Amino acid sequence: MRALRCLVRKEFRQLRRDTALLRVVFALPIFQLLVLSYALNNDLRNVRVATLDEDRTALSRTVLDAFAASDVFVPGPAARDGDELEALLRAGACDLAVRVPAGFERDALAGRVPSLGLDVDGTNSSLAGRGAGYAGAIVMREAERFAAAQAGAVPPASASRVATVVRFLYNPELESRLFMVPGVIVMLVTIVSALATGMAVVREKELGTLDQVLVTPLTPLQYAVGKALPFGLIALVDLALATAFARLWFHVPMLGSPWVLLLGVSAYLLTTLGLGLLASAVSNTQQQAMFTVWFFLVFAIMLSGFFFPVDNMPEWARWLTRINPMRYFMDIVRGVLLRGAGLADLRGELLTLLGMGVAAFGGAVLAFRREGAAGGG
Amino acid sequence: MSGEAAVFARGLTRRFGDFTAVESLDLEVAGGEIFGFLGANGAGKTTAIRMLCGLLPPSGGEARVAGCRVGRDTGALKRRIGYMSQRFSLYEDLTVLENLEFFGGVYGLGRAELAARADELLPRLGLDAERGRLTGSLPLGYKQRLSLGCALAHRPRVLFLDEPTGGVDPVARRGFWDLIYEQAADGVTVFVTTHYMDEAEYCGRVSIMVQGRVVALDTPSGLKARTGGVDMQDVFLRLVDA
Ligand SMILES: Nc1ncnc2c1ncn2[C@@H]1O[C@H](COP(=O)(O)OP(=O)(O)OP(=O)(O)O)[C@@H](O)[C@H]1O
Ligand SMILES: [Mg+2]
Repeated sequence: MRALRCLVRKEFRQLRRDTALLRVVFALPIFQLLVLSYALNNDLRNVRVATLDEDRTALSRTVLDAFAASDVFVPGPAARDGDELEALLRAGACDLAVRVPAGFERDALAGRVPSLGLDVDGTNSSLAGRGAGYAGAIVMREAERFAAAQAGAVPPASASRVATVVRFLYNPELESRLFMVPGVIVMLVTIVSALATGMAVVREKELGTLDQVLVTPLTPLQYAVGKALPFGLIALVDLALATAFARLWFHVPMLGSPWVLLLGVSAYLLTTLGLGLLASAVSNTQQQAMFTVWFFLVFAIMLSGFFFPVDNMPEWARWLTRINPMRYFMDIVRGVLLRGAGLADLRGELLTLLGMGVAAFGGAVLAFRREGAAGGG
Repeated sequence: MSGEAAVFARGLTRRFGDFTAVESLDLEVAGGEIFGFLGANGAGKTTAIRMLCGLLPPSGGEARVAGCRVGRDTGALKRRIGYMSQRFSLYEDLTVLENLEFFGGVYGLGRAELAARADELLPRLGLDAERGRLTGSLPLGYKQRLSLGCALAHRPRVLFLDEPTGGVDPVARRGFWDLIYEQAADGVTVFVTTHYMDEAEYCGRVSIMVQGRVVALDTPSGLKARTGGVDMQDVFLRLVDA
């Protein structure tokens, strides 16, 4: 125990003097969150809308004004007839063409589903789908409001329900941030723990200090724990920094308990620290260790549901995600932050991660034991 | 005799693939002896020492160090030996005192013991004034003395020094050997390699290794008599060139 304390104290002393590393490690969360969240956001913006109003009623004007008022759409030219509207779209003068047919207001007031033409430039498929969805939602909202106003009083409960739905649906900017920020947090924790630990151990091999440590009575387990602990703590501090920053800057909530998140990250850190240590056991230079860690990280990131939703993957890839610890941690972070998921909801993920963590860290200790006998390079 | 030898090896062999770095090494070093382990570059000295310290598993043969079977009684062996590797390998980003505290602390020495040991060792090593200095900023001669101090912090019975004076000036080397003598006087067995033949003269007995095999083992005067060399330099050249 004394020996372990001594090792940990030494690691912290060295870390404190490594100002370059400290700067990177503590600036990284803020920097990554800012850059990745802004750069990778695929928000809907500046969608140009051309309009054709064949109804010319109060409702049709309200709907078209709502388009102009939204910060997603930019009002474009107003067409005089259907042919002109089509021409505008074909010429690329607009991304979306809205045609309010005659009888629109009458249908809405009569309680029938009013019909409305939405033509979208499909060459940008992502924009097309989401732009159309958003435009459709605007029309629905305005039509409902109009009908309600005409019918008189609206029950408050239903009004507030509509309002909530509207806010979520109608703020795709927020939605994109909500999706990105937990992903960035997961990557951050992973990189700091796995990469920094692996490199730190291999650096000792390069410097020859590992041999000097291996002739002491420190056991492989003590050595692994002593090396992993400081970086595990840094990862925790980074997690705290990142969630705090995400909350203050991006207004990403933390609906669930921070303790559940702490439990999740602890289990996850066992796997990433174990992976870093394993990589260092099979590497003789920092480059080798870095490539080994990256090799696994790329797969882990691809199969984590960060960029590509797991549900869209083919069967075999979905199977692979089940052995990917990052995927479970991603689910935990999203669950705790965005859905307020608790211990009971995340029990499966937590147990799986814990199992993987024990396996990875145990494997690393075994690798060190063999390494200790083999003496490295 | 073999039961009480501080370092005992029989048939100790290490192969790397087809290449045999150490071939059937037989040695017996008595307690408190200063044993010079000589040989040209690549002769296999470091490989042999690493096996004796339990850092490298042998391909064959057996060895006992300080009463512990190498490869079996690993825990006890580690507590009884000190090792100073050929490459300088202390933490350059720790101070002199911090290195000493670390390498003593991992043997389980407590705070008070460590402080007492540092107060005893640092003046003897001539490093008392450098306690708070970062190790990386020390001259090589100082670093080597600190390495010795770190290897000694836990009071080992057998000390393995792999070229402890490589690249160090003659005055500093002389000073280093004074420290080695002090240890031997305290009963520590010193197993030392060197390429400086004047240092070989300071050893009680020396072995000379050529391409993985020990070709001669005797006191310096015995070797001179047997080979007709005028000094150890001469002896070394005759044996290694032969
Ligand atoms: N891990 C290894 N893999 C392959 N060959 C090795 C390994 N370690 C040492 N050798 C080889 O074994 C031989 C003996 O090396 P060793 O380092 O023991 O020599 P040495 O006597 O200490 O030399 P020097 O005086 O230069 O320190 C050399 O030819 C070396 O290349
Ligand atoms: Mg050597």
